[in-house]
Amino acid sequence: MTAQTIIQSLASGLLMGLLYGLIAVGLALIFGLMDVVNFAHGEFLMIAMYLTFFLFAFFAIDPLLAAPLVAAALFVFGAVVYLLIVRFAVRAKANTGMVQIFSTFGLAIVMRGLAQFFFTPDYRSITHSWLGGKTISIAGIYLPVPQLVGALVSIAAFGALYFFINRTDFGRALEATREDAGAVALVGIDKNKVFALGWGLGAALVGLAGAVMAMFFYIYPDVGASFALIAYVTVALGGFGSVFGAFAGGIVVGLVEASTALILPPSLKSVGIYAVYLLVVFVRPRGLFGSI
Amino acid sequence: MTISRRNVLLGATASAALLPLAARAQAPEVVIGVIYPLSGSSAQIGVDAQKSYETALEIINKYYDFDLPLARGEGLPGLGGAKIRLVFADHQADPQKGRAEAERLITQEKVCAIIGTYQSAVAVTVSQICERYQIPFMSADNSSPSLHRRGLKFYFRAAPHDEMFSAAMFDFFDAMRKKGTRIDTLSLFHEDTIFGTDSGNAQLKLANERGYKVVADIKYRANSPSLSAEVQQLKAGNADVLMPSSYTTDGILLIKTMAELGYKPSAIVAQDAGFSEKALYDAVGDKLEGVISRGSFSLDLAAKRPMVGKINAMYKEKSGKDLNDFSSRQFMALIVMAEAINRAKSTDGDKIREALVATNIPGESTIMPWKRVKFDEMGQNNDADPVLLQYIGGKFVTIFPPQAAVAEATWPMK
Repeated sequence: MTAQTIIQSLASGLLMGLLYGLIAVGLALIFGLMDVVNFAHGEFLMIAMYLTFFLFAFFAIDPLLAAPLVAAALFVFGAVVYLLIVRFAVRAKANTGMVQIFSTFGLAIVMRGLAQFFFTPDYRSITHSWLGGKTISIAGIYLPVPQLVGALVSIAAFGALYFFINRTDFGRALEATREDAGAVALVGIDKNKVFALGWGLGAALVGLAGAVMAMFFYIYPDVGASFALIAYVTVALGGFGSVFGAFAGGIVVGLVEASTALILPPSLKSVGIYAVYLLVVFVRPRGLFGSI
Repeated sequence: MTISRRNVLLGATASAALLPLAARAQAPEVVIGVIYPLSGSSAQIGVDAQKSYETALEIINKYYDFDLPLARGEGLPGLGGAKIRLVFADHQADPQKGRAEAERLITQEKVCAIIGTYQSAVAVTVSQICERYQIPFMSADNSSPSLHRRGLKFYFRAAPHDEMFSAAMFDFFDAMRKKGTRIDTLSLFHEDTIFGTDSGNAQLKLANERGYKVVADIKYRANSPSLSAEVQQLKAGNADVLMPSSYTTDGILLIKTMAELGYKPSAIVAQDAGFSEKALYDAVGDKLEGVISRGSFSLDLAAKRPMVGKINAMYKEKSGKDLNDFSSRQFMALIVMAEAINRAKSTDGDKIREALVATNIPGESTIMPWKRVKFDEMGQNNDADPVLLQYIGGKFVTIFPPQAAVAEATWPMK
């Protein structure tokens, strides 16, 4: 094993980790806001990837330009999912937890089924994008441009999110609602509006991730599944509900995955992630940055 | 004995109950279960397979002038012209679902035979259930060699398995070496279910036997979100030939990641699976000029056997795709099974099994480059000769073995 191999592994892991963070942050945001785990998170990612693909295939819009459009579309989609489904699920009189789980879980299955019906289970790829397939090589270390841009988008998105939550009225309303949804009603904040916007924001972030991913990953109805699993681990690792925990969690997962593959056979590379996850659960159950 | 009213009623009820049976006997029907992933990550395979089975069904149930068993004539003459009906079941690539679905097909749908399954891991459980109910199982497109070595009496496979496929690859390497091409080192890259594992083991064994050095033997997790660590090890090994055994998803990601990390092997010789799928070439075909894959089917055969072209056209009309290594094997599986049922003149599992054991179909009466279809005592057809195909200019051409080849191999690949 040379130094070059190690640096290359860590660089690839870091890039992938930043993307994992971007995929996971929407999940963390929604959970932090209203204690609901969105089990359809992977399917949100899938829809975003398909949307990027169709914008490319029918209108020749490059994924890079499509990203804001996809994020906007997912924002609307997320808000609609809240208003039509989750809003009612959280009002359930009995067994609220189960109702929430099953409603988003059911949504996931429906979305996957519809995607398979309408888009066919065939594997799609965006073959010629501006960045697709391009690679920068620095002293023998290869950095694929789509992932590099994805990592930058991720950092920018987290930066914007930080500003948004800490510096804007809506961000403060979001924080307040998350602290005490009952109390905010007294000061005239519409809880439903904040939740809907929170869902929209969470979905928009995963939409952004989907658009970036579409540049280098294949697209099919089940594509969300493996990323969603990593997103749940990322969120649990970073701390449930903590937006910046997701950022840190993503990086940790990416780096651990890459370094495990250096030591163990690659088929066991997820072992590292889950080992770290278990360790965190045992030693610090609320996650690295969790506040619960 | 006096005949009471009750007796008359009973008799009437009994004959009424028998009526549907009698009616069924007049329009006989043979029900065969077909079990594939129709949803989940490999659903497209199942969807395409369905079209292939429907093509074969049409040829059996209607009259076609092909030199193929049961093509001329309608239905199964051995069973009074009975038509075949297929019942499709979805196993979602999950061995446990496969087990449950096989059981349902046998007990609820009353199928007399089952064909499947694409994933070898699912074939394991489905064939066990078939064995228990004494229903013949035909592995249409499973290629793991361990499948037929389990001592099952009701297991049959007309197509080659991965040791035969891998042997063909090494025969090809030997032939290339004789011509002076340098092939000393190999990198194996295989996924972690039974398909990849068996294929990797077979290749490792052959490499050792024939004096090739395996510089990297990488087993990876199927459907990984990222393969950059794996590709790096392949790159570090930099073997003369890269030998992947991957399904479509991983195949696409492998080729993309290789390009991203600047790894270009001088040759790729793939164990089929993803590398026979249109989706893979749609996604990364530009990076695959000159890739070699094994196969059991080649459209080049259409030049010698016109019916291959016609059947391909029938399939293409249904699916929008050309017959490939999978759809062709699926097609043949139903033909071979139906041919045996026809000879068995019965839908009884044991009788069909006996007929399958006695199968002897000459290669010319198939759409494959095979010598013939004849099962050994383990249910494997050892006369199914594999071919190697090279992807050149957007299509596959047969390059090996010499008797089937239409072109010389381009080596190294571009």
